[in-house]
Amino acid sequence: MRSWWRVLGVVAVVGALSLGAWAEKLVVIGPWSGDEAKPFEAVLQAFTEKTGIEIEYRVMRSEDLGKVLPAQFAAGIAPGDVLLTAWGWWVKKFADHMVDLSAEVADVPFGFLTPIVVEGRTVGIPYAVWVKPGFWYRKSLFEAHGLKSPTSWAEFYGLLERLEAIEGIEDAAASGDEVGWPLSDTVEHFILAVGGKDLFLDLTAGKVEWQSPEVRAIFENFIIPYLEHASEPIEWTSAKDLWWEGKYGIYFMGNWLTGMVDDPSDLGVFALPGAKAVTGGTDYIFVPKYSERIDDAKKLVAFLMSKEGQEIRAAGGGKLAIRTDVSPDAYPPAEKALIQALQGFKIVPDMDDTIGGEWQAAFWDQLKLLWVKPEALDDVLRVLDEKFPKG
Amino acid sequence: MRNSPRAEAKRAEEGRPRWGLPLLFFRARKGEGLAALGFLFLGLLLIALFVIYPSIRTLWLSLFNEDGFAGLSNFAELFSDREIVDFSRFLRREPPWGALLHNLVWIAIHLPFTVGLGLVLAVVFSKVKSWWVGIARGAIYLGIVTPLVVGGVIIRYLFEKHAGLVPQVLGALGAGVPWSAGWTAYPETALLALIIGSIWLWTGFSMVLHSAGLSTIDRELYEAAQIDGASEWAQFRHITLPLLRPVTLVVAAMTFLWELKIFDIVYVATMGGPGGASNVLALEMYFSAFRELNPYRASAIATLITLFSLPVGYWFAKKRLGR
Repeated sequence: MRSWWRVLGVVAVVGALSLGAWAEKLVVIGPWSGDEAKPFEAVLQAFTEKTGIEIEYRVMRSEDLGKVLPAQFAAGIAPGDVLLTAWGWWVKKFADHMVDLSAEVADVPFGFLTPIVVEGRTVGIPYAVWVKPGFWYRKSLFEAHGLKSPTSWAEFYGLLERLEAIEGIEDAAASGDEVGWPLSDTVEHFILAVGGKDLFLDLTAGKVEWQSPEVRAIFENFIIPYLEHASEPIEWTSAKDLWWEGKYGIYFMGNWLTGMVDDPSDLGVFALPGAKAVTGGTDYIFVPKYSERIDDAKKLVAFLMSKEGQEIRAAGGGKLAIRTDVSPDAYPPAEKALIQALQGFKIVPDMDDTIGGEWQAAFWDQLKLLWVKPEALDDVLRVLDEKFPKG
Repeated sequence: MRNSPRAEAKRAEEGRPRWGLPLLFFRARKGEGLAALGFLFLGLLLIALFVIYPSIRTLWLSLFNEDGFAGLSNFAELFSDREIVDFSRFLRREPPWGALLHNLVWIAIHLPFTVGLGLVLAVVFSKVKSWWVGIARGAIYLGIVTPLVVGGVIIRYLFEKHAGLVPQVLGALGAGVPWSAGWTAYPETALLALIIGSIWLWTGFSMVLHSAGLSTIDRELYEAAQIDGASEWAQFRHITLPLLRPVTLVVAAMTFLWELKIFDIVYVATMGGPGGASNVLALEMYFSAFRELNPYRASAIATLITLFSLPVGYWFAKKRLGR
């Protein structure tokens, strides 16, 4: 009997200690895991060293947060103190449940992405930037077959044909799939290249319909001819592997690709002819007002957005700093080259991430259909108009 | 419990349930009823909190929209929504035919296959005495212990163009696109791929229940039939099938309910695509709730799924509470 009391005592002490240790940690929830999370974890580590505030980092994708948070907010609780999501539209919808972070970013020089402000309160702060600069290729492949980045549409479609003529290449372009975002990225790039930035922004704002003649023409005259040379949608990391192995010639992807290949120095990238802008996006930081450590959470946000915090993140690669005062020297070589390549391009917010909601899911899904059934174009454009958020 | 022989005989004759819940409270002696209530209290409380209240709340929400009380208009909109029912394309063109029709197609193919296959496999495995029977039975049962999310990933890769066994084999046999391509990428094959995958995932359930049912059949019946010269087929038709009927009905009911609320494997393998070609009611409910942020439409779909499940659920509960 005595020994039982001892066991119970030990369990109680250990439990209390671990509960205390857990309670002291600031909980940060972000979408990155594995290697992709390491640069962010380095920033968190630097914050802990500076302030002594311990942090527990947990991984949850935007999709998962979107399922969990509405119920938790309704109950007046939150799973973490500082959260990150790519869904800016979602942050706007739930702004009432978030802390005002205006003071933490008052001095931050933002670039093309700015904080989400609802009724005068800054509720979402853009963190690190990714861009979708265009089609990636292996320099070694292009050099071996005397291929060049295209500068006109004729050259672009000629390149696709020449790539397909190479032995071992199944399709000229690989098409990534997950829930569909790699396809929407590709389409957005075509719209920017052919229709220009203004048409792109008008489409994002709902001022132009998808069934309008100018948008339809982009699909009919540029995207559908491209699809003749593109693979069917394949899970995007598998598609990356197959492209890298030489089954496909080019691959449209964001700049995080530089951290996913064995030899980033073999990577080349080109934007479509005529493109003067490329899309970019971010993950938004927010602090739920149900956090029990709002002051510490604000301190972390301020550090993440400080020049020091942004430079540590930039040094990790894969993303660009949101602050415009971070020097190109802060980046590893691949990102430095990318910044060079982006000179002269405007960066506009990714369309589907900006609109979000049901439309985003429909956009991804309809493009998956278009990729294998180009003849379904009428249905695809009709659905995109029908699903567009009203008001 | 007072059970006069006459009342018991009458009840047995009528085939009515002997231990229905109302009977427990209204016909039992006072002390017994209270004791039963004491034992059931915690369970009933949990059911009330986590099943009954949410169900009533969902039903209530389905009668509203953003402007207030909407009556049955959410349901009327559902039935005029192409994403739920699209008869103009049904069986004339490739999917999408609407989430509800996809569920019904799922039931029409999956239900007879899993129930029939489970029955046949159970009978075959009970007849064959060999070393491989245990391995085969285990392999088939694996489907039912595999988490559906993992099942969805397996289905996705099973039908993937490069990694998938099915398109590779069909391609080698000379089949064209989409049969030799990624099934989940094409509207003609996406729903079919999910249904075929789900047959593998669920057949183990049917097989195990039928195997358990087979073990309860008296062997003497087969011996007597053999003495009378009955063939294997005749034994199956006149002994096995009728005596397994209660098990088969339970399997069919459970399978039907599973098919109506199918979500996980669709979410993981196709997300309802391409172009909604493999969308189902539960996924449409998810999109309404968490993407559209429209709890009213989501509740209406949830209520619809419940309404479709109710007759089968009621029948099943009646059977379970019966003899």
